[in-house]
Amino acid sequence: MMSQEEVRLEYLWVIVVVSMLSAFIVSLVYVGVAKGFWTPEEVVTCDVKKLDEFIEPGIRELEPGVYEVNIVARRWFFEPGSTQPIVLENPRKIIFRITSADYIHGFEIVGTPVNVMIFPGYIAEVEWIPPKNLQGEFLVLCNEYCGIGHSNMRGILIIKR
Amino acid sequence: MSTMQKTIEFRVEDKFSKITLAVGLIALLLGGFFGLIQLIERTPYMPSIVPPKTYYTILTGHGVLLALVWTTFFIMSLAVYIVSRELRVNINKTLLLLACILAIAGTFSAALAILLGKAAVLYTFYPPLTAHPLFYLGLVVLIIGSWIFAVAIFHAYLAWRKNKPSTSIPLATMGVLTTLIIWLEATPPLAFMVLKNLVPMSLHYTPVDVLESRTYFWYFGHPLVYFWIVPAVTLWYYALPKILGVPLFSEKMAKIALILFIVASTPVGLHHQFVDPGISNIYKLVQTIFTFIVATPSLLTAFNIVATLERAGRLRGGNGVLGWLKKLPWGDPVFAGMTLAFILFGFGGISGVVNASFILNYVVHNTLWVVGHFHITVGTATTLTFIAASYLLIPVLFKREVASMRLARAQVYLWFVAIAIMSTAMHIVGLYGVPRRTYDVTYGGQIPSSWIPLLLAVAVGGIVLVASGALYQAIVWRTIFGGKRLEDHIDVVNEATLASPTILDNLRIWIIVAVILIAVAYIPTFLEIYSRGLSLVPPLTPEGQILG
Ligand code: HEM
Ligand SMILES: [Cu+2]
Ligand SMILES: [Cu+2]
Repeated sequence: MMSQEEVRLEYLWVIVVVSMLSAFIVSLVYVGVAKGFWTPEEVVTCDVKKLDEFIEPGIRELEPGVYEVNIVARRWFFEPGSTQPIVLENPRKIIFRITSADYIHGFEIVGTPVNVMIFPGYIAEVEWIPPKNLQGEFLVLCNEYCGIGHSNMRGILIIKR
Repeated sequence: MSTMQKTIEFRVEDKFSKITLAVGLIALLLGGFFGLIQLIERTPYMPSIVPPKTYYTILTGHGVLLALVWTTFFIMSLAVYIVSRELRVNINKTLLLLACILAIAGTFSAALAILLGKAAVLYTFYPPLTAHPLFYLGLVVLIIGSWIFAVAIFHAYLAWRKNKPSTSIPLATMGVLTTLIIWLEATPPLAFMVLKNLVPMSLHYTPVDVLESRTYFWYFGHPLVYFWIVPAVTLWYYALPKILGVPLFSEKMAKIALILFIVASTPVGLHHQFVDPGISNIYKLVQTIFTFIVATPSLLTAFNIVATLERAGRLRGGNGVLGWLKKLPWGDPVFAGMTLAFILFGFGGISGVVNASFILNYVVHNTLWVVGHFHITVGTATTLTFIAASYLLIPVLFKREVASMRLARAQVYLWFVAIAIMSTAMHIVGLYGVPRRTYDVTYGGQIPSSWIPLLLAVAVGGIVLVASGALYQAIVWRTIFGGKRLEDHIDVVNEATLASPTILDNLRIWIIVAVILIAVAYIPTFLEIYSRGLSLVPPLTPEGQILG
C-alpha cells in the first residue's frame, strides 16, 4: 500500500510531467507563430514525365540577395549542385524549389538546418535565411535511400560574402 | 477449485511459445550478423567488404529481421505464456496453429525475397522503389497471421472474463492486451495501402503516389514503436517487483500509463514526416501535441519503476539519497538486464522528445542521431529487456537450466556498455550531419573531419555489441540443447489475485477514445492529400531501371 506521503509525491510528479510537456508545446507553437519557424509544407504537383514544363534547373536572383534555386534531383545527382556547384553571393534569403525525377531523395546541406524530403511528382518549396556572416563551402547530400547509387549523390553549395 | 487449476495443461501453448521464441532468436542472430557488416562498411579507414547493392540488401535484412521479426515473434511467445498462466486459460489451438503457420510463412517469403537480393528497399519500403512481389505478399501474410494471433488471445481473455465478470484485469495480461490493441490500431491501414498500391506496383508496374503511401506507412510506423515498447514496460512492471519481492509502487498508475498508450500511440505518425513537403503545418502541429501526450505514460512509468526500486532498496537496508541503489541485486542477469534497459530507455525518451520537437527535427532528420535513438529504444529498452526475460522464460519453456548465469550477467553488462558508447557517438555525430542509410560516408574524400573520430567510436561500441550478441546466442542455444534438465518446473507467472474492476479495466471505452483521436489527427491529413489530387509516378528498381 502507498503511504499518504507517497501518494502526494505521485501527484507532484504528474504535475511536473504535465507542466514540462506543456512548456515544450507552448515553446514550439511560439517559435512558429512569433518567429516564423515552420516545417516545409508548400508543394505543387507536377508530371515527372514532362518535368521541363514545371521547373527549370538553375539559380535566379529575384531581388538583390534573394535567390530562387531550382533543383532537380535524379539518380544519382543534383542539378545544379552536383553538375556544377551552387554559388550564391551575399544571400539574404534563399528559396529552394526542388523536385525529383525518379525516387524519393533527401536534400541536406551539412552543417545547416536545411533538410527536406524530395518527392517525385511534387515540387517542394523551402525558404532559408542563412546567418549574416555565414560563408564557405558546404557539402550537399542526399539523405534518403534512393537505390544503389545513393551514396554517390552529393554536391556543393558555395556562399560568398 | 484449486485442484481444477492444477490440472490445466499448456502443452500447445508452450509449444507455440517455444517455436516463436526460436524463430525470434534466429532473426536476432542473422540480423546482428548483418549489423556487423554494416559497421565495417560504414567505418572510415575500414576496407570495403561488399558492393552497394549487397549493402542495402543487408540493411533491409537488418531492419526487417530485428525491428519486425525478432520483436514480433518474441512478443507472440511472451504473450501466450503470460496470458495462459496469469488467467489460467487455454488458448484456442486451431487459431494458434494458423497464426503460427501464417506468421512463419509470411516471414519466410519476405526473407527469401531479401536474401535473393530482390528486395533492397529497406524495411520502410517507400515507393517508387520496388521489390519482388514475394516481399510485399510476405508482409501481408505476416500481418494476417498476427491478426489471427490477436483473435486467439482476445478469445481467451473473453472466456476468462465470462467466468470472472467482477475482477480487474491482471497487470501483465493488461500489458499484453494493450500491445495487441495498439497493433490492431496500426496495421489495417498499412495492409490496405500495401494491397492497394504496392502489390499492384510490383506485379503490374502500376504507378503510385509517394506522399500518400508514406503517410500510410507512418500511420503504422509510430504505433509500431509502442508495439515494441509496451511489452518491455509490461515486463518491468511485472517482473521487477517479483524479483525484488515488493509490490509495484502504484498499480493504478501503471494501468493509467497503459491506457494512455492505447489512446495516444497512433495519432502521431506525422512526427516522422515533419520535413515532408505537402502536409500542412497545422496538422503536423496537432500530431506534435498528441506526441507529447504519448510521452506522458513513459514518464509515469519512469517514476513508478524508480519508486519501486527505491522501496525495495530501502527494505533491504539501503539508506541515504542513493544508498538504496547499492542494495539492489545487480548480480542477477534478469534484474540487471531489465534495469539497465530501463535506464537507457530514459535516454531514448530524451532523444525522442528532441525528434518530436517539430522544427528541431530539421537538425536530426535522417542523420545518424536517429539510428542512435532507436538502438537505445528498440535495440536496448526492448531487446535487452527481452534478452533478460529470456533467461527466465527459456528454463521454464524448455525445462533446462541456463547454461551459465555468470556469462549471462557479463552479457547484459556488455550490451549496456556497448550501446552506451555506440549510441552516444551516433547521436553526437548525427548532429554534425552524418546521414543514415549510406553505403559510403566518406563522400569521395569530402568527408568533414569532425565526423571521423566519432564514427570510430561508433565502430568500437558496435563491435562490443556484436560480441555481447554472440555471447547471448552461445548461451541460449547451449541452454536449449545442452542445459541441465530441470525436473519440476516452476511457473514464473502466477495466477493473479484480483481486485474489482474500475473504469481502467473497461477497454472498450479507451478503444473508442483512441479511434476518435485517430480520426481527429488523420482525417484532415488524408483529405488534404486526396483533395490536392494524387501525383502518380512510375516504379523503379533499386538499380535505377524504370518499370512499366
Ligand atoms: C548487433 C549489433 C548491431 C549493430 C552493430 C548495428 C549496427 C547498425 C548500423 C551501423 C546501422 C545503420 C546503417 C545505415 O544507416 O546505413 C543500423 C541500423 C538499424 N538497426 Fe542496428 N545494429 C545492431 C543491432 C540492432 C538491434 C538489436 C536492433 C533492433 C532490435 C537494430 C535495429 C536497427 C534498425 C531498425 C536500423 C535501421 C535500418 C534502416 O535504416 O533501414 N539494430 N544498425
Ligand atoms: Cu539518396
Ligand atoms: Cu514516432
